Amino acid sequence: MMLPMLTATLKALLPCALILLTGFPFLKERPAAKLHRVEIVQMKFSPSSLSVQPGDTVVFVNLDVVTHDVTEASGKSWRSPPLAAKDSWKKVVRTSANYYCSFHPVMKGTITVQ
Amino acid sequence: MKRFEKITMKATALLLSVFAFGTTVLAQGNPTLSDAEVASAAVTANQIDIDFAAIAKEKSKNTQVLEFARTMANDHQAVIDQAVALTEKLSVTPKDNAVSQQLKADAEKTKEQLRAKSGKAFDRAYIDNEVSYHTAVIAAVKDILIPETENAELKDLLTSVVPALEAHLEHAKMIQHKMSGK
Repeated sequence: MMLPMLTATLKALLPCALILLTGFPFLKERPAAKLHRVEIVQMKFSPSSLSVQPGDTVVFVNLDVVTHDVTEASGKSWRSPPLAAKDSWKKVVRTSANYYCSFHPVMKGTITVQ
Repeated sequence: MKRFEKITMKATALLLSVFAFGTTVLAQGNPTLSDAEVASAAVTANQIDIDFAAIAKEKSKNTQVLEFARTMANDHQAVIDQAVALTEKLSVTPKDNAVSQQLKADAEKTKEQLRAKSGKAFDRAYIDNEVSYHTAVIAAVKDILIPETENAELKDLLTSVVPALEAHLEHAKMIQHKMSGK
């Protein structure tokens, strides 16, 4: 008589215990998305290599006199509009990408999503 | 082909003569360039590449060449605009001088040679000239114009232009390499 009751109680408490042990994972919020800044200066992307979390935003700021853009390298799946001096452009990043400036193809950069 | 190589070599020699001319002038201890003269030479050098780009726009059908020429025209115009804004701020009027005149004289000969060509021969000549011209201008800016400049802001502007010139040179070399089929 006691054994089934004990088993039922344990069955009911087990999920609660697991939740307590794992620290309410469903209540935890994802870390807030970060804003990363890449400066375009002296014909270079700085930093040229950037590591981000999925969903982070990268803002590209053109500090050069000449116009640049930011173009995804492999399939040109995304590209910024032309960025004149002091213009900036934001992108939410979900996948890693190599990119370059289509006006000055020697300018290259990489975003790695961790 | 031999004729083409001969013309290219001639163009290169002419452009390099500007650099040689400038260094000779300085080596002889002649009066140094004033900031007004440096500003004139800088604007002239940029305008010349805009003129070369205009010829490319008129004569080329190669997308890569046309895009490169468009970038040259836009970038060099941006540099001129900044130089003009700075000279206005500093109340300096660009003054014609021997270096500017030599640049213009050489450029006229090059333009004539470019206009005489068409098709792929033009594309090759234009890109080869861009490689030669940027090589000569980078040397002239680094070794003549920057050392000759007294005003710190003008010196900073010239210094900040060098990476753009170097990026143009590398870009031109990339196209040159593709054209040669290597």
